[in-house]
Amino acid sequence: MTKQLNQKEVKLLSKMTKVSFLKTGYIHLVVATIALLFSIPFIWMILASLKTNAEISMTTWIPAKLQWDNYKEVFRVLPYAKFYWNSIFVACWVTFLQVFTSALAAFSFARLKWPGRDKVFLMYLGTMMLPGLVMMIPNYQIMIKFGLVDTMAGLIIPGAFSAFGTFLLRQFMLAIPASLDEAAEIDGATKWQLFWDVILPLCRPGLITLTIFTFLGAYRNLFWPLVMMKTVDKYTLPIGLLFFDSTRGNTTHLMMAAVTMSVIPMILVFVFLQKYLVKGIQLGAVKG
Amino acid sequence: MNSKKTKQLFTGIGFISPNICGFLVFTLVPLVFSMILAFTNWDLKLHNMFKPENTIQFVGFANFVRLFKDEYFLMYFGNTLFFMMGIPFGIAGSLGAAMLLNNNFRGLNNRVWKMLIVSAILAASLAVLMAVGLKATALTILITTVGGLMLIGGAVGGSTVYRTLFFLPCFTSGVAIFLLWKKMYSPVGPINIALAEPLNNLSKTVNGIEPSTVQIGFWLLFALMLLILAWRFKVINHKWRDAEIDSMSVILPTLFTCIPAYFFSKVSPVESVKWVPLTIAVVLLIACIINWIIKKQDFDSTPWKGHGGMIVGALVFMVAQFICIGLALVIYNLPEMATNGLEAPQWLADYYWAKPAIMIMSLWAGIGSNNMLLYLAGLSNVPPELYEAADIDGASGFQRFSSITWPQLAPVTFFIFIMSIMGGLQGGFATARTMTQGGPAGSTTTLSYYIYTEGFNTGRLGYASAIGWGLFALVFSITIFNWKFGSKYVND
Repeated sequence: MTKQLNQKEVKLLSKMTKVSFLKTGYIHLVVATIALLFSIPFIWMILASLKTNAEISMTTWIPAKLQWDNYKEVFRVLPYAKFYWNSIFVACWVTFLQVFTSALAAFSFARLKWPGRDKVFLMYLGTMMLPGLVMMIPNYQIMIKFGLVDTMAGLIIPGAFSAFGTFLLRQFMLAIPASLDEAAEIDGATKWQLFWDVILPLCRPGLITLTIFTFLGAYRNLFWPLVMMKTVDKYTLPIGLLFFDSTRGNTTHLMMAAVTMSVIPMILVFVFLQKYLVKGIQLGAVKG
Repeated sequence: MNSKKTKQLFTGIGFISPNICGFLVFTLVPLVFSMILAFTNWDLKLHNMFKPENTIQFVGFANFVRLFKDEYFLMYFGNTLFFMMGIPFGIAGSLGAAMLLNNNFRGLNNRVWKMLIVSAILAASLAVLMAVGLKATALTILITTVGGLMLIGGAVGGSTVYRTLFFLPCFTSGVAIFLLWKKMYSPVGPINIALAEPLNNLSKTVNGIEPSTVQIGFWLLFALMLLILAWRFKVINHKWRDAEIDSMSVILPTLFTCIPAYFFSKVSPVESVKWVPLTIAVVLLIACIINWIIKKQDFDSTPWKGHGGMIVGALVFMVAQFICIGLALVIYNLPEMATNGLEAPQWLADYYWAKPAIMIMSLWAGIGSNNMLLYLAGLSNVPPELYEAADIDGASGFQRFSSITWPQLAPVTFFIFIMSIMGGLQGGFATARTMTQGGPAGSTTTLSYYIYTEGFNTGRLGYASAIGWGLFALVFSITIFNWKFGSKYVND
């Protein structure tokens, strides 16, 4: 009896897995096809960056001979290495400063008690709703007053403070049990020690998430560098690419090489750090 | 006690002081400054160091009055709204992508090698097929190889790999990607090269058959539009009668449903049916009202009940009706256009095609966006018991979606919808600056790009600030409206 049942079970099970196997394979096929369709522009981008300029407007997608020299050529016709360096320099500083100031503020909002704290926090949240565009004109005038136009500092300093970062890190810090604070207090830790030695290490995922967000945000920021920077040598990548387009727009093959080089770091960042990113995006929406 | 509180205050303030300093200098001061600016006539062309005799003056509400009279503002606002018609498609695409990715890819995990072999064989056979049967171009082989690699990657890594691939367009989106699309849209770019042959064939086919036969397509689409119209009224009628929605919630959805009908009366190529859709709409509306008076249910009805859901539905189907009208017009004019041979559009250089071109790109980048990730998180929070119960009841796939997935995801959809509207109203700067410079003839200039050109190109700082605040007022009021009426729908 039991044997028969087992056989029946096995049969049923094998049938079920067969169906799910087929179904899974089918879904794999559909999803992979869609993914392929999505990546066609990327495929064209890479292929075009390996063509000669004459080949670009031909019907064939594949270059007759791979022109790897296009990539070298980009660095020759433009201060592309400078753009890269400027972008990364600005992004690193913005990230470092913003994560640091945000962590400090988030600690204050999440783990300290002081009169008026929640009111100040609400005000912070409110500023997230304000349109950034409205503030750009006065901000630019402020930069003129400080003499920071066309300087790296002018790009970095306004980016060093963020209500969003404060909000995100506060979310992470609120999740840490309050008993840790009490334990630290009993051990005689100062608030700074509590912040530096206890809370910061514990919200490392949050810090990493914010780091990636901020870095990428600064890396692809268009508006502020566009307004601020006047000297070509101080351009960041996005405005450098715009400059490329306006001065040598007809050299499509070189431009695609430049575009490829500016996109690939982002792809790498995402592939390796997506765990944190996805979590951060989903957490950032919880405020709603 | 008091000194302890003071100490607490000082520690608290101490920790936020770096942030608050930046907040004051770069947020609060600019905020006040720009508010003052909006009431001045500050213009860099008039007020600069070469013309010290001109002083900046307060002009009261003059800038805002000008805003209402400014025909460019209206036009650019219209452009912004036009771009926002892509939002429902983006959201629907994100939901679809999330549902695809939410499938259980892990089922094959213990058979990784099997799957590897299967997909390798698949890729190889496809490649051979392409090489033998179709044109043996290096491109087909390359594409199949890439596709095969994706399959293999997906078989090994599961949904994470696919999620990465779906998310890449959004993630890399920026100046670089806009420039890439600008090149793809160029008259000699890959899109027009690919379109040349199908269009050529199409014009040959169209020329081969009678114009009146082609115009059947026009009538079919016309009928489809009327069907959608009638169906929307049926929905309104049922929900209103059964008190699922409040009387107040009928007004705006009805209006949205009727806008395409009104639009049709303006553009209809056939004079005799010009007023048909609008007449049908009015008749149906009257029928709805009569039906409500006679048969209305006396259930409790809070004011504005069900408003958000109805508006979302009405907007989506309004866009659908507009698409019907657009396609119908194209088909009606097709025979005439085809006599000289059809040509691919000039995309970004064409007044009418520039907006759709940018919308297509945004859709490409918008489907696998943050919205998809939010939907994925939302889907993983749907209790599986609900689906099990549905399976026991023998629910169809559509029923599972319409009565479990969609209602369960309502809060996520609502959040995405609000954020998209806020983003849409303020968006379009980067694409306009990178791809079209706002042209041709201002057809891709959105409000944010208008603020940029006014503030930083023409130097009318006062007016630019006023536009900025006008835009903010718009965003703010729409958001408040959504929260007030939409959240009721979500919480129901």
